[in-house]
Amino acid sequence: MKILVPVKRTASLDDEFEMRDDGRDVDADFCEYDINEFDEFSVEEAIKIKEAAGEGTVEVVVMTVGPEDADEVLRKCLAKGADRGIRVWDDALEGSDQMAIARIIAKVVEREQPELVLTGAQSSDHGFAQTGIALAGILGWPHGAVVSFLEYTPGAPSLAFRRELEGGLEQKASIPMPAVLTIQLGINRPRYASLRGIRQANSKPVDELSHTDLGLTDDQVGEAGSLSRIRRMYVPERGRSEMIQGTPAQQASRILQIIKDVRG
Amino acid sequence: MPLDAPVSRSKYDVLFEPIQIGPKTLKNRFYQVPHCIGAGSDKPGFQAAHRSIKAEGGWAAMNTEYCSIHSESDDTHRLSARLWDDGDVHNLSAMTAAIHKFDALAGVELWYGGAHAPNMESRQTPRGPSQYASEFETMTYCHEMDIDDIHDVQGFYVEAAKRARDAGFDIIYCYGAHSYLPLQFLSPYYNKRTDKYGGSFENRARFWIETLEKMKVAVGDECAIATRFAVDTLIGEDGVEIERDGVKFIEMADPLVDVWDVNVGDIAEWGEDAGPSRFYRQGHQLPWQKFVKDVSKKPVLGVGRFTDPEKMAEIVRSGQMDIIGAARPSISDPFLPQKIKEGRIDDIRTCIGCNVCISRWEIGGPPMICTQNATAGEEYRRGWHPEKFPKKGSDDAVLVVGAGPSGAECARVLMERGYTVHLVDSAEKVGGHVNDVSSLPGLGEWGYHRDYREVQLGKLVKKNKQSQLALGGARLSVADVLDYGAEKVVIATGSHWSTDGRNALTHAPIPGIDASLPYIATPEQVILGQKKIGKKVIILNADPYFMAPSLAQKLHQDGHDVTVVTGVELGRYMHFTLEYPNMHRMLHEMHVEVIGDHWASKVEEGRIELYNLWGDGSERRYNGPGRMPRNPNTSHTWHNFDTLVVVTGRKSNDELYRGLKERKAEWDKNGIKDVYVIGDAWAPKLIADSTFEGHRLAREIEEPKAQFPKPYRREVSVFGTPYIPGGFTDIRYEV
Repeated sequence: MKILVPVKRTASLDDEFEMRDDGRDVDADFCEYDINEFDEFSVEEAIKIKEAAGEGTVEVVVMTVGPEDADEVLRKCLAKGADRGIRVWDDALEGSDQMAIARIIAKVVEREQPELVLTGAQSSDHGFAQTGIALAGILGWPHGAVVSFLEYTPGAPSLAFRRELEGGLEQKASIPMPAVLTIQLGINRPRYASLRGIRQANSKPVDELSHTDLGLTDDQVGEAGSLSRIRRMYVPERGRSEMIQGTPAQQASRILQIIKDVRG
Repeated sequence: MPLDAPVSRSKYDVLFEPIQIGPKTLKNRFYQVPHCIGAGSDKPGFQAAHRSIKAEGGWAAMNTEYCSIHSESDDTHRLSARLWDDGDVHNLSAMTAAIHKFDALAGVELWYGGAHAPNMESRQTPRGPSQYASEFETMTYCHEMDIDDIHDVQGFYVEAAKRARDAGFDIIYCYGAHSYLPLQFLSPYYNKRTDKYGGSFENRARFWIETLEKMKVAVGDECAIATRFAVDTLIGEDGVEIERDGVKFIEMADPLVDVWDVNVGDIAEWGEDAGPSRFYRQGHQLPWQKFVKDVSKKPVLGVGRFTDPEKMAEIVRSGQMDIIGAARPSISDPFLPQKIKEGRIDDIRTCIGCNVCISRWEIGGPPMICTQNATAGEEYRRGWHPEKFPKKGSDDAVLVVGAGPSGAECARVLMERGYTVHLVDSAEKVGGHVNDVSSLPGLGEWGYHRDYREVQLGKLVKKNKQSQLALGGARLSVADVLDYGAEKVVIATGSHWSTDGRNALTHAPIPGIDASLPYIATPEQVILGQKKIGKKVIILNADPYFMAPSLAQKLHQDGHDVTVVTGVELGRYMHFTLEYPNMHRMLHEMHVEVIGDHWASKVEEGRIELYNLWGDGSERRYNGPGRMPRNPNTSHTWHNFDTLVVVTGRKSNDELYRGLKERKAEWDKNGIKDVYVIGDAWAPKLIADSTFEGHRLAREIEEPKAQFPKPYRREVSVFGTPYIPGGFTDIRYEV
């Protein structure tokens, strides 16, 4: 049995940063990159299923859509115990939105034929929370979103899970296989890679594919294949912090004034 | 400033403006006041390296520790510098030369102790304004000076000042803080004279004023004259009070002084000056120091464990003082000024105010150590630079198990050297033991030790993606470590408090003590809130440091009635860290009963049997095998408690290390070259020493037996080489 885990290399901002010249994203020089936090949990969940099933029963394939820099994210997953990686990229993919990415992942699903796809519930940088669900839509597979507990034995015709709802509610559900689940933070405790795992990851295979390798045409990817387009990314002008100075009494009265202003 | 000079907008700019002190210029406002390190004149390499590393780090001036002007002021068993003869001039010249290389000034604090100096080496009799036994060295009396004596001693200052100038010093102090001689004349607490050197304020000030005049005439054209003055001796009108004699003396002496170094307190309780963080926050002396600027036209500096650049800038900007004096913060981070200048505020290794540096001087002069800065005192003898590290000597990857003081420091230095390091801890946070300790009342600032390492490790793991900070996972087993894939393994798993009463007095468990019982708690259980604590608490203590007093304070604050039963002097090490007097004041305020000189023979639910340590009689005789050589101790009495807290001793968490040693045969096939143990896991010790061990191993990990330190450079006099030029070293009797 095979589990496909799509992961994303996400950006976090330095304390001070500048926008790109085109104004549509942060200048990459001011970002630090790492695996999407949510994906740490989906990878861990896949590896747990693999370990519980015993040697040679389950294969965990991690994939990402991104340029060569994204390999480090795949290697991190391989170091923790995933078996192999797939990285899809070529210049035409630049500007792909979550729908285009879902379309690419769907093609990888066609190619790999996994029984289960585990994605993060959302990405920690853009936070659309759409890729996993869109993927299920394209595939026509049943899905569960924001999954906080998963019970699955490889080979079983269905899986049971719990998902978080608003207001502290939880929902228990089961769906038939194959399925797509988007995984919530805290479903497990992601492991750290050992030094041995990191070394072994360097010799595990990572396939590099282009959109044409997957049978996608130019108008199905990139901006042409996207439903949305980022027009501008910016810091809202209104300052949200203020340094309160003066004597303790002056500071207290300023705080009181702010509370009154905010409450209206 | 030239018109085209760039306009800097840093809020700290005020700290980097030069300031004139007499014939010299301080290049900025960071000033290392005189402080002891255990080097003196006898370890000139240590002296030169420790002071000059701060010059490299951007401090404008560095001073010696107190420096004796004559063999009549010999502080042995404690360690001062000395300027008694040409040998001392030669040795202290190493310090001034090293400092001058960095365009900074070197200062010396000329000192005559009077009755506070016991003269145990020189065997001379100290002189003072009146005759009294020192309240600090209570066996030592001084001889009351007559006019000839006064002229003699003032001459000692002048001759020493000339030697100081010859040694290359830029700033020469007349030291009158901490109750040393000039202040003994000024303060009516000491000065009971009725001649022109006693009585009225003018008469009491005369000795100090005349001495300053003589020093100024002798060296004032070439050197800045400083004086360190305790502007309030904190004993009310019996001594010096800031708004009375304090400001009056500043006004009177101002024309003779090029820079004022002002503080409060005396020598017997000088923790009121070098305030431990347990009792005093940053700037705690400002309520007294701030008066000085009102009456002085000269630059004013003072200490107050200033660690926060915002506070420093505010003090200078608001005119409370002109220059930021620092001793402890300069030890903790010799590069403090440079880091502020470069805006690297989160790289500052902030002083935690534990006073372990001071403890070494109080003990009697072993080399100073610092809890935060493991390189303090190791600059010369081990060649350790606080900010620079040798490149790694191999591509070995290192697993460090335990992110407490020792493990975190080891991992930090290994990463600085370029090693790939995995630092693993089952806790969610870096810090280990420090996380517990800093939660105790008054010890919050000790958490800076953790914070510094946490920030640095966070930066370092980003530089090397192969490195990893793995917190909050399962504890590693022996098999996990064998299988981890590390070439080198460092075990830093800390220690725990004994759960069975094992202690330094009997080296055995105490019957009935078992911390798994509901009515007995270890310090960890109290701190982590793991046990319900009853109303009446007995703390059984055999630890000489802070744990028992701190728990007494915590439990009192939580509403418990606390009694401490102690087999060792309660808080004995806190004498050395200057926390002892206020710790005892606090226990007194809290009505904590202290039963000293007692130990426990057995414990039952709700009661403990105690005996007086001296209850076995003074008579000793041989009674044959199996019989004690003294009388049976019959002093046993039962005492009731609801909860017994056992602060009896500590034990290494060394199971992982010993388990790995047992499976040494499997190291090779798993690629492991060596396994080390550091910090409390090796043997329980001070946080400073645990930190040192982590640092030491990280610097020496390429050595064949890196578990044990390399020899360090010793500074000892070489037989056959006379200390004073032209002297002799062979054995000669005067017959």
